[in-house]
Parts: sequence; structure tokens; C-alpha cells
Amino acid sequence: MTAGAPSRGLPIEFSGLSKHFGTVRAVDDLSFTVQPGRVTGFLGPNGSGKTTTLRMLLGLVHPSAGTATIGGQAYQELPNPTSTVGAVLEATSFHPARRARTHVRMAAAAGGHDAKRADEVLELVGLSADAKRKVGGFSMGMRQRLELATALVGDPDVLILDEPSNGLDPQGIAWLRDFMRYLAGEGRTVLVSSHLLAEMAQTIDDAVIVSFGQLKAQGTLEQITAGMTSMVMRARTPEADRLTGVLDGAHISYRRLSNEEVAMDGVTPEQVGPLLATNQIVLYELTQEGADLERVFLSLTSGLGFGEVGHGNDGSPPPDAGGTGGTSEAAPAQ
Amino acid sequence: MIDAIRAELIKMRSMPGVWVTFALGFPLAVLIVLAVLANAGGFPGHTFYYVESLKQRRELLGAGYFACEVLAPILGVLCVTGEYRHKTMTTTFVLRPIRSQVLLAKVAVTALWSVLLALLTLVAVAAVGLPWNAALGGVTSQVTDQIGAVVPGLLVSAILLGLFGLGFGTLVKNQIAAILLTIGGTLILESILIALAHAIFHYDLNWLPNAAGAALAGDIARGFGGGGRGAGFHLLTWWQGGLVMLAWGLIPLTIGFFTTFRRDVT
Repeated sequence: MTAGAPSRGLPIEFSGLSKHFGTVRAVDDLSFTVQPGRVTGFLGPNGSGKTTTLRMLLGLVHPSAGTATIGGQAYQELPNPTSTVGAVLEATSFHPARRARTHVRMAAAAGGHDAKRADEVLELVGLSADAKRKVGGFSMGMRQRLELATALVGDPDVLILDEPSNGLDPQGIAWLRDFMRYLAGEGRTVLVSSHLLAEMAQTIDDAVIVSFGQLKAQGTLEQITAGMTSMVMRARTPEADRLTGVLDGAHISYRRLSNEEVAMDGVTPEQVGPLLATNQIVLYELTQEGADLERVFLSLTSGLGFGEVGHGNDGSPPPDAGGTGGTSEAAPAQ
Repeated sequence: MIDAIRAELIKMRSMPGVWVTFALGFPLAVLIVLAVLANAGGFPGHTFYYVESLKQRRELLGAGYFACEVLAPILGVLCVTGEYRHKTMTTTFVLRPIRSQVLLAKVAVTALWSVLLALLTLVAVAAVGLPWNAALGGVTSQVTDQIGAVVPGLLVSAILLGLFGLGFGTLVKNQIAAILLTIGGTLILESILIALAHAIFHYDLNWLPNAAGAALAGDIARGFGGGGRGAGFHLLTWWQGGLVMLAWGLIPLTIGFFTTFRRDVT
């Protein structure tokens, strides 16, 4: 939790959550926990099951198996849902002839909140000046802000945001980032799904990475990227064939990237440097790959499991890369 | 539950289509007033005459029934299909996750708007029909004496017709299709079926929505063309008509709830 943040959030827990559409496993035995007072990024490529997972959490989609709870209760069982959870979902819409204030007042009425709350949240998201305008004339960014205002109408302890950056301009994205940090700073639970990794890297405290509906990794941003720091060294050499032979002898996993390039996995510069010097391998370049979220994400979601990169040239997915049910603090799902 | 109803009321009153539908109630009622007075003298189309017989007096007072028959189902359809058309159902179900409450709120709001529509038609009768009838020589009190006999049936009919539309809207998510099914079905298809059944089988199809509604409303107005019901057609009693109309509303509503309304919102 952010230092000094009051504890007003609730944990979100997914346990063995699955959703099958016919033969398609959109979400497959997904288990993880989201902690209050932190911004947790729910990351995955398009079609990885993020939206379906969030919709199951909110009772919009019925799970095939498993549970998703907020503070130990299913969303439908919460005594006052809008005071507990605010949600900004992707692809939601508005009646185009409805004015922004009317829309939020409707939301306030549905949640049993005072109509005056509508003006407060519209001001909070910077839409006061447009409150009387019809939503049909709103830009995508303004719609996102309006959706956020709707989510905040009950002053909820938990915020769930599905791809909230979509359609926002750079200023809007920066504003949203600060806003999420502010909400988490108040102790609220913030779960945000996105595939915009560079943006997320600047925002989130924790990350949950999914692919093909399965958990790939969970942990703090530092844990996940720190795990990657020691993982990839890239060498460019005219003696790539000899290098791979040396790596085989040293039982180091690698991938051949090109005639001159080899990526070595699970090693540090301190391990590789002496090994190459001892074997007098000519190097043009030896680079430690950047330990950013995007690289971890690509590694995990391309079918190459974390820490299980194919030995030798085998780039096939590991048999159990999905990490079913892992909610440990360790970065990679085992 | 009250909160859900408040939210649905805000939605309904912020939909232009609802206001357009509602506003049409006045001119439609005036048109029927015109038709009743034009037929009162027994020379249709030739001259206007004041209402005299009990049936004519009730038809004048209940001139709004035809408007309710056409428009109340549309109000019901709009109440639910507007959500699908504009993809606002996700927000609705996030704000009120217990879906049966949402549907009950829509039932309440549709009933309320339908009553308001019926009252608007009564205003049309009071503003146009009664003064015109008086100007033609009719006695206003002889018409208003029938309020007790006409108005309750008109109001209940309007409510049940609204629920009928809501039920179809819940079942058929496409707004245009739902409107065509309710209006086209009751005004056109039903008339044809009734006429055919009467002509071929000598059977009165009096349990179809239009005929059942007319029975509930005391057969006060048959609208244009008489809904296919010719002379000698036997309507149900008013309470039978009410029960049948209730079934026409509740059956599609229940089927719609357990099918489309409870489906995943993806």
C-alpha cells in the first residue's frame, strides 16, 4: 500500500475463474488477488480474456467455473454496489440525446445517491463546463471522462477500469495516470486493464499478466522487471555458431536471432563475460536487454514462458506456462 | 427498488422518442373524437352530430383508447430496446446488478408512462371532444356521467398495453422489429386473423391482444376499421379481457427475462 494511504479499499480475488464460449476458453482457471491502496495493471494482448474477466467480476458475464469477489462478496451480493465498486468498461455507450449531467444523475439515482453528487463528479473529471451538452457530441476522451464520472458517483472503494486510455490524448492520459495514482493514494483498490504497456509502466504498482486467458505472471512491477534483468543478454558476433556450442557446453539457454545474433537467457553479464573471454569469442556487441515491462510482457505472451525459454533453438511454449491458480508474490506464474 | 425506478424514470424522460410517442397521443385522440362525432348522426362522412346513445357517449369519452392501443406498446418497447440500441445495458446492469429489479423498475415506469398517456388522451377529449360535442348540441354531463364506466378500463388497458410492448421489447432486442411486431401484429395481423377466423370457422378470436384490450376497455372504441371485428363478434368480458391482456404482457416479459435479459452482456 502506498505509504500513509488510509485503508479504505477492498481486495479483489479471482479464484479458479473460467469462461468458455463453446470450445473457446476465453478465461482459463484464472486466480490472483488485487490489493487495496495500489494500482494494479491487468495486462495482456487483445483477446487474452481481460475484458471477459472484468465482466465476470461485475456480474455481466456468468463464469463457467470459479469465483470473482470484492471484499469476499460477489458483485451482485454487495449491499450497495455503486458505493463499493466503480467501473469504467470498454465499449460501453451512452444515449446520444442524453445530457452529461442527466446521465450521471441517472447513475446517482440508480445507486441511491444524492443528485448533487453528479455535479461533484463532473467537476472532478473536468466536465463541469460540458455538463449540459448532449453526449452524442462528445469526443472519445470526453466520453471516457464521463464514464469515469459515472464510476465515481458512489465514491467507491474499488475502481475497475478497462482500457481507460483508449481515445485519450496525451494530456488526457497523463491526467488519468495522476488520477489513478491519487485514488490509490487514498487507499482505494484500482485495477486497470490495458495493452498500452509504456503507459502502464508509469502508472502501476503491481502487474498481472495474462495470455490466452491464463495467468502468466503476477507481482510488483519491480519483481517482474527485476526477474527479467538477469534473463536476457544479447550478443552480436561473427562466431555465432561457436558461441552456441560454448553455451550448449555451459548449459545456458539461448535463442538464435540471426546469423550474428544470439540471445542468452537466465544469465547475467558477470556470468557471460568471463565465459566468452575464456573461449576467445570475438564480440561486436554484448547487450543486457532492457528490463522494461514491455519486454517482460512480450516474452510472456509470445508463448515463451518466463524462465522457461526453449533450450537451444526450441522456441516452443513450455508445457505449463499458464500458471493456473498461482497467486503468489513471485513474479512468474509457475 | 425505488432507486431503480427513479433511474428508469430519468432514462425515459431523457429519450426524445418517448416524448414524440407520448405527444402523438393528443392528435390521435382528437382524430378519434372527430371520427366519433362524424359517425354519431348515422351519416358517416356527411356531417358532425352530437353523441346521444350510451355507446356513443362512451366512445367519445374513451376516444383515447385507440391512441393507447398504438402508442402504449411503443412506450414499453422503447423502455427496454433503447438500452440495447444505444448499448447502455452494460451501465444499467453495473449500476443495478440484480437484473430482476431492473426489469421490475421498467415495468413500473412503463405503467406510469402508459397511465400518463391515457390521461393525456382524456385531456384531448376534455379540450376538444366535449366542447365540440356541446357546440353540436350535446349535453356534457351525459358524457361525463360515463367517467366511472370508461376511465378505469382505459387506464388499466393502457397499463397492460404498455406491458405488452415491454414484454416484446424484452424478447426482441431490435427496436424496429419489436415496434413492428407489436403494432403491426395487433393492428394489421390480428385484424386479418380475426376476420379470417370469423369468415371461415365462425370463431371469434377474442383472446388476441387488440380484442382482449377492447373487452377490458368496454369496447369503447374500435379504432379505424374495427380491428377486424364485425357485427356479432363476441368480446370477452372486461375481466376476462384484463386477464388475457395481462398474460399477453407477462408471457413475453417472462420469456424475455429468462432468455435475453439474463444473458451475458459481452
